[in-house]
Amino acid sequence: MTVDTAVVLAAGEGKRLRPLTEHRPKPMLPAGTRPILEYVLDALLEAGVSDLHLVVGYGRDRIQNHVGSTYRGRPVTYHDQRKQLGSGHALLQAADAVETECLVVNGDQVVSTAIVRDVVAAHTSEDVATLAVVESDAAPDYGAVRLDGDRVVELHERPGGEDHHLLNAGVYAFDRSFFEEIERTPREEGELSLTRTIAWLAAEERSVRGVHTDGVWRDAVYPWDLLSLARTVLRNDDILTEAIPNGGGSVTERSGRDGRGPRDRREERNGRGRRRVRVSPTASVHEDATLVGPVDVADDCVVGPGAVVGPNVALGRNTTVRAGAVVRGSVVDVDARIGENATVVDAVVGQGVHVGPGVTLPGGAADVRIGTTVHEDCRLGGVLADRVHVGGGATVLPGALVGPDARVDPGTVVRGQVEAHGRVSN
Amino acid sequence: MCGIVGCVGRDGDAKEVLLSGLSQLEYRGYDSAGIAVTGVGGPLDVAKREGELQALKDAVEDRSFPGGTGIGHTRWSTHGPPATRNAHPHTDETGRVAVVHNGIIENYAALRDELTEAGVPLTSDTDTEVVPHLFARYLTEGDDPEAAFRRTVSRLEGSYAIAAVVAGEDAVFAARRHSPLVLGVGADENYLASDVTALVEHTREVVYIEDDQFAVLRPSGWRVTDATGERVDPEVRTVDWTAEQTGKSGYDHYMLKEINEQPLSLRQCTRGRVDELAGTVGDEGLDGLDRPDRVQFVACGTSYHAALYGASLLRAAGVQADAYLASEYAMTPCPVTSETLVVGVTQSGETADTLSALRIADDRGARTLAMTNVVGSSAARECDRTFLLRAGPEIGVAATKTFSTQLVGLAVLAEHLADAEGADPDLVTALRDLPDLAQQVLDESRAAEVAEEFDGMDAYFFIGRGLHYPVALEGALKFKEITYEHAEGFAAGELKHGPLALVTGRTPVFAVVAGDGALARKTLANVKEVEARDAPVVVVSDGSQEVAGYADRVLEIPESHPATVPILANLQFQLLAYHVADRLGRPIDKPRNLAKSVTVE
Repeated sequence: MTVDTAVVLAAGEGKRLRPLTEHRPKPMLPAGTRPILEYVLDALLEAGVSDLHLVVGYGRDRIQNHVGSTYRGRPVTYHDQRKQLGSGHALLQAADAVETECLVVNGDQVVSTAIVRDVVAAHTSEDVATLAVVESDAAPDYGAVRLDGDRVVELHERPGGEDHHLLNAGVYAFDRSFFEEIERTPREEGELSLTRTIAWLAAEERSVRGVHTDGVWRDAVYPWDLLSLARTVLRNDDILTEAIPNGGGSVTERSGRDGRGPRDRREERNGRGRRRVRVSPTASVHEDATLVGPVDVADDCVVGPGAVVGPNVALGRNTTVRAGAVVRGSVVDVDARIGENATVVDAVVGQGVHVGPGVTLPGGAADVRIGTTVHEDCRLGGVLADRVHVGGGATVLPGALVGPDARVDPGTVVRGQVEAHGRVSN
Repeated sequence: MCGIVGCVGRDGDAKEVLLSGLSQLEYRGYDSAGIAVTGVGGPLDVAKREGELQALKDAVEDRSFPGGTGIGHTRWSTHGPPATRNAHPHTDETGRVAVVHNGIIENYAALRDELTEAGVPLTSDTDTEVVPHLFARYLTEGDDPEAAFRRTVSRLEGSYAIAAVVAGEDAVFAARRHSPLVLGVGADENYLASDVTALVEHTREVVYIEDDQFAVLRPSGWRVTDATGERVDPEVRTVDWTAEQTGKSGYDHYMLKEINEQPLSLRQCTRGRVDELAGTVGDEGLDGLDRPDRVQFVACGTSYHAALYGASLLRAAGVQADAYLASEYAMTPCPVTSETLVVGVTQSGETADTLSALRIADDRGARTLAMTNVVGSSAARECDRTFLLRAGPEIGVAATKTFSTQLVGLAVLAEHLADAEGADPDLVTALRDLPDLAQQVLDESRAAEVAEEFDGMDAYFFIGRGLHYPVALEGALKFKEITYEHAEGFAAGELKHGPLALVTGRTPVFAVVAGDGALARKTLANVKEVEARDAPVVVVSDGSQEVAGYADRVLEIPESHPATVPILANLQFQLLAYHVADRLGRPIDKPRNLAKSVTVE
């Protein structure tokens, strides 16, 4: 079957990724140099969808301004979820957009075209719902699925334990009747959840199809997951969509927002075809700078003389890496500035962050506390949330989480957590 | 100011093509609208309605229009009140020809008398109605349609973009003088419009028709001729705007969408113009431009406020510079020499007053520069040089993102002419940082709360000094344009020379206080003056001065370079005006009596 209409659920914040979600929702966090949402939209378009609907809520301005009225020439319609009452409630906001069947995808997880294609191919008019199922050790932390052949017999949200290996990848095809099923599902604490409706249908032995797919699925749960997400797309984003040719030489990509058509990017690969160096034609890289692949340098970036960028670095749009700075294993988000001779290793650097001259984030492993949970031995050089300013010569120790708009005085040492708008002084 | 569309070769959906084109042009006027459709051997069907385009859409919803050739019009009144009888298209008394027109026919009284004496009944109050009657007379005298059209246009004085159709002919006839007209090239179908935004849905290949040229569009092709009838071979250009870029992206109003997309507009505007590695700013439109003896800016409305800012920056850089209202400049032009640079600041590039000021300056031997958002606009084509703003299409009548990009363009121009060794490194950094700083203001603005607190007051005053004075003027203009409330902008130091008499406890005063220099301290002294008169005070502050003690509310902006602070401060005023207008339920994208670009003097 073919499905023309897709609804992307992009209204949630992604609270566990705080402090990075202070000003923008999780779908707009970077997977490499592009927002997660763009990968979702790409996968849908490559799978033949022509009518895109986005359910927006938290930080909706950011999504609307980035995506605009169209994405790669296809019209985009927005549906506002004013109250965050669950994924089922979110989908109901777009009910008017759906006439027969539709695809529904989480806007905050990177999915490949293959997953979407598999769901579209498997879904039949007999099915109320079809969902993509991938094999993963993370299944107990997500929607864990039990299949009987191609039937979903159980769907449990975060069951824990160790005896689940299949998870719900958040890519669905629904019959129009599914909308009534959502409304009929009993609310839980006032909320309507998609997976609860699916679990309920499965328990009633209605036709819920599960598609076991080996397409790529990646999620970011905690801030440091953005680093592995970047590594995934830097090394092999050609497995995410079929649009990008696999060969060497230059690749052609569609620019995200303005649909101005193909955009050439310079690309070099080494002999093994893995260490890709991509530089936007609008970026300026000084001839005495060194780029070590895999590395992606987005539009309007500036890399000064003597700087060494890479491997595993994504420089987002309009970032600057000044003379002599070293950046490795890091995601540097749009409009950030890395000062002269700074060292930034294994770090997540948010939008508009200013890292002063000679600042050191030496990188390495540390215990990181999120809420009341301590995550031991995470490889995280540090997280600098949006618009943090780090004064010259300061040192940020591994595992530090610096909240948005915080100010770090020159020469200080930062460890642990710094709250939003906080100040670190000697 | 009005909008014109035309199409040929659209059998079956001419009505839809014309209405959708008019939707894109509605910003040019919305007093009344109409369409006329015909086809080979067919009749000429005309429909028109007073009021917004929706009234026309409702009226023709169930009506079919046979034929693939048609014209349409959306009107902003210059002659006669908005009424169905004054709506275009206008026809002759037999309904054989239909005409749409944008501009002013200056000799219409004489033509009207001539027609009345000949016994022709005229039914409208418009200048346009003489055109179809003349056209029909020449047809009756035996001219073929094209000859009759040319003869008609040769009788007209003034400004016009005209499109006409004749019953049973699958052709659109068009002519232009001092009013914009663009031809859209398709396969077996061709289009015409006042503005490319109405064309991009169908084609991106366009031809800009020049003054005193004629065009004939048929399904099989198009032809452009000059005033003598000689065929000309104009360049076919490709526009890079897409129809979708002009959508609302989920916002209730274009204005709010355009305010929010300013970080993107600023990125596009600064791209390639700020070289951080080399430490320079510039633009290919400025290459080889030497420092002139003096610079004169000519502009209207919001663009004039940008011009005031540009003149200030240039004077600070030691270049003699002044800003003039274009309509006044045309009345008493200033002395110019070949070493004078006259800069026309105009979003549309079609503002009639600015164009005539530029033409006067050009005639007198000055060098000219157009700072405009529209490629191929009259200003861009007529001036010696062009600086393109790259803000993207702006549909809201209230200029927002184009003002911000105008300030960037003027900062680049001033730095280029400042004649220093390399650019001010702080300015280079500030321009690179600007998209993020603008995003920060949008993310964190409390303008909506301030709007809630202060709506329903007697009047609103905006004050600023130096580069913040144009921001005060623009803040007040934006406010009055879309809220219909009384607002005035003053130079902060002028308050005590008169306007202070207006200040009461029911007149909030909005002040820009930024930087740590004398400018900010003096403005703060003015803030104290109004506070002593019990006026509520809202300060736009970058945190460099302690303002909390004097201000009832603070609208924060990040610290930045003196040249970029006005851009950030203005964002707060744009949001303030928007939210007050929204609370008052005003038609924000189409304020009463206004039109996007004013192509009549």
